[in-house]
Amino acid sequence: MKRRCLQLLAAGLVMLCQPAVADSNIEKYVNPETGLLSWQSQGDALQLELIQVLPDYVRAVYSSRGLPREIVDKVSGYCVFGTILHNRSEGPVAYRVADWRYITPDGESHRIRTKTEWVQEWRDMGVAFRWSMLPDDQVFEVGDWGQGFTTIGLAPGSRFNLEYAWRVNDTTYTRTIEGVECAPAEAPVH
Amino acid sequence: MRLLKHRFTRLQAGTAGLPVAWLLLLLSAAAVANEELSHSFAAIDPPRSVPDFSLPDMDGELHTLQDYRGKVVLINFWATWCPPCRREMPALQELNNKLGDEAFAVLAINQWEDADHVFAYMGDLNVFPSFPILFDPESKVSAEFGVKGLPTSFLLDKQGRVVFRAVGGRAFDHPQVEQTIRRLLAAE
Repeated sequence: MKRRCLQLLAAGLVMLCQPAVADSNIEKYVNPETGLLSWQSQGDALQLELIQVLPDYVRAVYSSRGLPREIVDKVSGYCVFGTILHNRSEGPVAYRVADWRYITPDGESHRIRTKTEWVQEWRDMGVAFRWSMLPDDQVFEVGDWGQGFTTIGLAPGSRFNLEYAWRVNDTTYTRTIEGVECAPAEAPVH
Repeated sequence: MRLLKHRFTRLQAGTAGLPVAWLLLLLSAAAVANEELSHSFAAIDPPRSVPDFSLPDMDGELHTLQDYRGKVVLINFWATWCPPCRREMPALQELNNKLGDEAFAVLAINQWEDADHVFAYMGDLNVFPSFPILFDPESKVSAEFGVKGLPTSFLLDKQGRVVFRAVGGRAFDHPQVEQTIRRLLAAE
C-alpha cells in the first residue's frame, strides 16, 4: 500500500512537471482557395501551426532550389507539413523536435525525422543545402518565431495524432493535436 | 553592372524563377501573411564576439566585417524564397535611408542563391536596396553565427559584438528599432 502511494505520488510529481494541456484550443482550418487543411494551437506559450503540403508542392520547392532528383523524390515521399512556431509568451520558450512524437491509429508512437538527419543525408550526397526543414531545436526569445517543413513518415491522406512539447523555464508542456491528416496525393477538388 | 558568377555546385543549376510552391505554402497561412511583425530584439548579455568574414556583394566586391568596426551593423540572413525575408526587405531599406548617413550599416547576407537570381528579385521591389547584399552560398557564415532558420538578424555594436538578436521576420521600420540603434550609436 505504501509503495502504491509512493508510485502515485511520483506520478503526480511527473504530471506537475509536465502539465498536460487539453487540446480544446486547437483550431482546424480549411484553406478556401486550395482546400488544404491546417491546425493551429491557441493560448499556449508556443503557438504551433501545421499546414498540409501537397507532394507536388514539395517537389516544386526542392526542384526550384536545384536539388538532385533523389532528394526531391525522397522528401516528397514523406507526409510534409509547413510548420510555423511563435513564441506567444513574455519570456523564452524552447522546443526540440526530438521530443515530439506522432501516434498512428495502431497506437504506435514514432519519432519525427529531424532536420539534422536530413541535412546529414544531403551532405553525404555532396549537397550543402541546409534550409527548408524546421530547425531541430530553438530557444525563442520574446517576439521570435520560425518556420520550416516537418516530415512524417506516412502516406498521403494518413491520419495521426501529433504530440509536441515545449519548455518554459524548467517546465515542459505538452499538447496533442488529434486527427491530423496528411495532405492527399493530389490537390483536393473543392 | 558586373554580376558575380559564384562557383556554385551543380545544385544551383535550376534556381531560376520563384519557388512558387514555397510561397503558396506560407502565404496560405493567412495568419503569417497578414500578421503584424514584431519589432522586439532579444538582448545578448553579455555581448558576444563573432568571427570575422569576407563575402562578395552583387558586384563581386568583397566586404569584410572588420571593415565595419566602429559602426553599428545590422546583419540580416535571408533568401528570396523565404516570405518573411521578402516582407522585411522594404523596411530594411527604409531603416537604411534613415540611418545610412550615420555610423550604421545594413548587411543582408543571402543564403544559397546566386547574384543573378537575387538581382532579378530586386527588380521586383519598389526600391532597389542601397545596402550591400552579400552572398554566403554554402551557408558557412550563417552557421558561424548559429543561424538555424531564416530570417535571423543580429545587431552588432561599434566594437563588433552581437548585442541583439531577432529570430523570424521583424518590422525594421518600427520606431523602437530605430531608437535601439540610436542608443547603440550614442554609446561609447
